[in-house]
Amino acid sequence: MLDTLLFILIVLPFLAGLGCYVLRAEGVRSLIVVATGGILAAASVMLYFQTPFTYPVEASVQATLFGVSLDEIIMVADFLLLAVILYFGVRHKNAIIVALAILQGALGAYLEFGLIEHAPKAYPTFVIDTLALVMVLIISIVGSLICVFAIPYMKEHEHHLHLPASKQPRFFLVLVAFLGAMNGLVMANDLAYFYFFFEVTTLCSFLLIGHDETEIATKNAVRALWMNSLGGAALMIGIVWIYSELGTLEIAKVISQQHTSAAMLVALGLLCFAGFTKAAQMPFQSWLLGAMVAPTPVSALLHSSTMVKAGVYLVVRFAPAYADTNLGLAVALCGAFTFLGTAALAVGQSNGKKILAYSTISNLGLIVACAGIGTPTAITAAILIIIFHAVSKGLLFLCVGTIEHGIGSRDIEDMRGVYGKMPVTALITMAGVVTMILPPFGMLLGKWMAIESSAGSLFVIVMLALGSAITVLYWARWAGGLMSVEGGEKFKTESQAALTRAPLMILCFGAVVLSFLAPWIYSDMVVPLIKLSPYAVAAGGLQSGAGSFAVIPLFIVGLIGFGVAINALRKARSSHAFDAPYMAGIQSPAVAGAYTGPMNKPVVVTTGNYYLSAVFGEEKLTPYGNFAAIALLVLMFALGGLF
Amino acid sequence: MQAFEIGLNPATFGWLLVGLLVAPVAGGLIAGVDRILTAKCQSRVGPPLLQPFYDAAKLWGKETKVSNVWIAFCSWMYFTAAATSCVMFFLQSDLLIIFFVQAVGAVFLVIGALSVPSPYSQIGGQRELLQIMAYEPLLILVFVGIFLATGSFNISAVYAMDKPLMLESGVVPMVLLFVVLGYALTIKLRKSPFDISGSHHAHQEIVRGVFTEYSGRYLALVEVAHWYEVVLVLGVVALFWATSWYAIVILLVLTYAAEILVDNITARLSWRAMLGKLWASGLALSFVSLAWLYAF
Repeated sequence: MLDTLLFILIVLPFLAGLGCYVLRAEGVRSLIVVATGGILAAASVMLYFQTPFTYPVEASVQATLFGVSLDEIIMVADFLLLAVILYFGVRHKNAIIVALAILQGALGAYLEFGLIEHAPKAYPTFVIDTLALVMVLIISIVGSLICVFAIPYMKEHEHHLHLPASKQPRFFLVLVAFLGAMNGLVMANDLAYFYFFFEVTTLCSFLLIGHDETEIATKNAVRALWMNSLGGAALMIGIVWIYSELGTLEIAKVISQQHTSAAMLVALGLLCFAGFTKAAQMPFQSWLLGAMVAPTPVSALLHSSTMVKAGVYLVVRFAPAYADTNLGLAVALCGAFTFLGTAALAVGQSNGKKILAYSTISNLGLIVACAGIGTPTAITAAILIIIFHAVSKGLLFLCVGTIEHGIGSRDIEDMRGVYGKMPVTALITMAGVVTMILPPFGMLLGKWMAIESSAGSLFVIVMLALGSAITVLYWARWAGGLMSVEGGEKFKTESQAALTRAPLMILCFGAVVLSFLAPWIYSDMVVPLIKLSPYAVAAGGLQSGAGSFAVIPLFIVGLIGFGVAINALRKARSSHAFDAPYMAGIQSPAVAGAYTGPMNKPVVVTTGNYYLSAVFGEEKLTPYGNFAAIALLVLMFALGGLF
Repeated sequence: MQAFEIGLNPATFGWLLVGLLVAPVAGGLIAGVDRILTAKCQSRVGPPLLQPFYDAAKLWGKETKVSNVWIAFCSWMYFTAAATSCVMFFLQSDLLIIFFVQAVGAVFLVIGALSVPSPYSQIGGQRELLQIMAYEPLLILVFVGIFLATGSFNISAVYAMDKPLMLESGVVPMVLLFVVLGYALTIKLRKSPFDISGSHHAHQEIVRGVFTEYSGRYLALVEVAHWYEVVLVLGVVALFWATSWYAIVILLVLTYAAEILVDNITARLSWRAMLGKLWASGLALSFVSLAWLYAF
């Protein structure tokens, strides 16, 4: 049973991806993707009933795949993978990628053939606790929905491009296999396996970002590859270092105690560094921003359920090992700085995908900050934000992709009044934004926990307070703009492919319902992991000594208010008495949205958002932000290693 | 369990009613007094004390005519959130959550303003967001300061103390935080120099700014929601000396008088000046105060 589940979650996506590649008919491919998504989602739900467990159950039994030792498969695949990365490095003439691939290969060989004693290992290869389970559920459900959304999306995408031959087989090969790699990564208990899957995700994202093979796509893909290779190299050095200190590659062993020696803290610092590159923390944010050149499902996948989540997973997973150390404090500072810095950068943007990208990085920074604080309440916050962010952000990316196909632009100024053209999508987008920033929804619950648990750390709390205020600004103006239309008649519902509409609806529904279930998610998923219960669940809310959040009562009040408000809207609509927007009394009688200007000519009014680019412009803030972030990284190693 | 207890416990139920019913009346009366005092400052007679209620009642009776139906939706959301946050204050909930619930209303007020393509309401909405961005971090830091002094974000912890919050931890940090709270109060009361998104006075360079497109009963709702918010913010002010009723009244009268004075002697700032001044001085004061509290 267990090895069937693990086979489905890790190996099946690779096989299904190969199926998409080999069987090139469109119908077959759609069927494979939908079926794999369904099976993955079902398997992840079944995993929920099995958790926690380890595999192999008898630690002395060695895991095998098709009769071959899994350890050997991973070892060989590891070197093959580095060879592929090396090949791309040579092909794109990038010295950094080449050098880092050779370095990782050499270190890997040293670890495999020089350091490790190849006795049969005495620990399980996979450990599934509730943190791994949370990740598997996100990857397998949200990730699968995005893959399904990609079917009609890519068809239309290629329709616009007029390609001689469809590139979808390769696209879906990588997209679906990505899910398997992520599942492997979060369940691995062996650092060698962890490293392998970590590098697979790097390669997958490189291939997906460069998918369209335009000049800019290739350039951004290469940048993503070198930045993530830097993380890969840091991870490899960290692993070799940890092995030479502790004599084991078992993750459960590494995190079973707090480490205080300088050597171990530097090694853990290297692991966190790897997590920062993958999670696009400042100063590495540019690769994730570049990734938006890829088709929208790729962005949705990278931002919500895969890739960047691997980075924060790494930082959260190892948090117990560096809790209560200066390294932890430094990690919290790095995360809080990214939270603030990228939120400020988002203010200056009008490109919807860029806003989403900065917002993702910002929220990941918040998760990293919580991991660094490391108290039970902070870890709770980190895990809840991982869950709720995955759903809401996946949803918002799919919304932007849908709107982009509808209006031909991803600029939020062009999305003004999109409610008039695509009312359903606009409303779902609005719901996505509300679940991102407002109570009683899960993201805000996580943010509340984050603020209350970091109240003891002066610099962290100031950055969180500022960042959280800035976040409200860039979301609210977007949501308001969507609705900006004259009059109040009901607009005609847009028609959409079922495979487009269904993922939007499911994710939107999920964002709301999961928020409602937050107290139970907490007691079911978080408490078993941290083996403590920092919050008491009472009256449908969460309470700690420091504060209380009445989730369910607020939901009920919110629902009543929402009902009354919708009723008022319906009444206002049924009165059919609409007024033109105020134009200081000189409304043009002939032209809508215009006033009567000089010479009795109508002047059409245009409005735009404040982007405050004099303060929050990308080119203004980025250099300073990167400089400060690099300084913080130096501080992280100095604090960890020297003191 | 506790959800039912709220209904059964007479004291809690009483406070719920105070937050829901007495608070808006108090807010309206405060608005009436404010208008009279402001008129006196400007050598005018001013309206009767109950004028805000007459206004709201008249607005409520008007024919509904909106430029976008989302105005109706958003005004009700604003009203619900403001009333809920005010009730939560009287139920002694978590300060951060009260404030986040209040932010729901603030955000929907803006969404409503932005849903109409009128330049006045658009600019008003954008400026309102800047105001939110200006005061939100300051309020969070004030709450963190209260947490450091009392050990909890719950308001009940403030009442559980035996000496006034203002005198905790060597007085200085709490006084600094009180000044920071004053900045936020000025914005929430829509007073000069921070009334950039929509003044409480009749007219400004962008007409009524964020309120321009709210009309009839929807404007009445916005007015009453504002009364709730005023009571909420004044409630937070009162927490600083909540050991006796006399002290609360004296503190509120002094604070509000200072607000009226500032309103009448300062000129409206630009958004850039507002953000710069508020963040620079507000953050510096809170930073010093929090650092002091950590050391304490």
